[in-house]
Amino acid sequence: MTRSLLVSLFIIAAPVAAATAQQPGPAHKVEGAVRTVNVRGRALEVTTGVGMALRVVRLQVPAPLSLTGLRPGDLVRVTYGARPGGYVAYTIERVERTP
Amino acid sequence: MMRRVAAGGIWLLVAALGGGACRRPAQPGDPLPGLSAAERQRFDRGRAIFDSVFTPATGLGPLFNADACAECHEDPVSGGTGDEVERHATAFHPEAAGRPCDELVALGGPVFQKRVTPALQAALAIDSEPVPPQATAIAARTTPDIFGFGLLDAVPDSEILAYADPDDRDSDGISGRPNRFFDGRLGRFGRKALVPALREFNDGAFAAEQGITTPAVPQEETVGGRPIPAGVDPAPDPELSAAATDLLDSFVRLLAAPSPARLSGQARQGRAAFATAGCDRCHVPALHTGDSPIPALHHREVDAYTDLLLHDMGPELADICLGQATPSEFRTEPLMGVRRMARFLHDGRATTLEQAIELHAGEAARSRDRFRALPAEQRAALVAFLKTL
Repeated sequence: MTRSLLVSLFIIAAPVAAATAQQPGPAHKVEGAVRTVNVRGRALEVTTGVGMALRVVRLQVPAPLSLTGLRPGDLVRVTYGARPGGYVAYTIERVERTP
Repeated sequence: MMRRVAAGGIWLLVAALGGGACRRPAQPGDPLPGLSAAERQRFDRGRAIFDSVFTPATGLGPLFNADACAECHEDPVSGGTGDEVERHATAFHPEAAGRPCDELVALGGPVFQKRVTPALQAALAIDSEPVPPQATAIAARTTPDIFGFGLLDAVPDSEILAYADPDDRDSDGISGRPNRFFDGRLGRFGRKALVPALREFNDGAFAAEQGITTPAVPQEETVGGRPIPAGVDPAPDPELSAAATDLLDSFVRLLAAPSPARLSGQARQGRAAFATAGCDRCHVPALHTGDSPIPALHHREVDAYTDLLLHDMGPELADICLGQATPSEFRTEPLMGVRRMARFLHDGRATTLEQAIELHAGEAARSRDRFRALPAEQRAALVAFLKTL
């Protein structure tokens, strides 16, 4: 009984763990369109902005976060933080698949 | 005594009529009717910021199009139109997977500022932000007036979406569709309807038009994608406070929509011709606001003459893509206040309303052809009607 409960908890928790990297600092949030995905280089660019002042947020994506399945145009919600080398993603959630 | 009472009664009647049914039509630059004293005060204080002329020391630039909101939005008063023409550029790749529109954001786009501060000029030897060779189109953008934009902001998404017919299910040749911002929200502001909300339109304009950082946009624009060189931007970020941007937003939000002029007999005929030609399928005469914490914006009708949707206007008018808008798709331009405009269409290429109608194509071709087929006096009447808006 206890074992099956533990297995169930693992199954529920696993996808969350797979989409969350360690968060060393305060998190920023961005919701926008994927501009580029570099699976091998573990990098992601997201287009966002305020009004006509548009911005590209460039993110390094550490393991175990997955970029597989993401493609340009997908709408994503990302939390991230600043590191000396640039922004690092903490969580990536695909909100909508590009048509 | 009796005479005094009668005179008092007449005065009360006149006062009642004057305060309601006989309200003076809104003039350009007026606030919405019915503002509270506090709202009116915010409107006035916001106008002072709208009229403020910025310098590099107070935050202007290093890249900019204007040194004040009112430098462009100036005619006939603050909030009106102007003769400045901006430069926007993007790259459209219809064969690309995912998003076919590249707004060239990583290269400084889509707004490529036409002016630079002396310090940036000295550092980079440029007079404007260069448009990168990756651009597939460069667009000219005239200055619209912004009267009544608070009312447009308060129109619920559901009302706009109710006019959408992306697959032209009713087979009328008109298939309006919404644009969407990068986060998926419905767009409504700008010639391509990219921007979802007036507040963002205003905050973004400080950055993109004046190079002024705010709490909403705390970082300067890049120069073609490269950071601003050190030492050319003396003002600390954010260059304008949240309190100031709040007031500016109040001014823009509370500007009254233009009051249509009284219809002459000819204009009344023109209104009928406007409907007969099918112009009102996209230039929807009235939109309705939803709930708003500001009573003057709460459940109001606005004679906007737009559906705030994208329509294909044909290859002749096509220029840049933006968001989900293709090069030939434009948001239906609101016709409220069109009688005060000197140039028409998104780039000002038409100098008369007749020319503007003639340049309609794509989804508007059928209406344009109906206009052409009207007898001369009915065409004149339709234009006379437009000159009342």
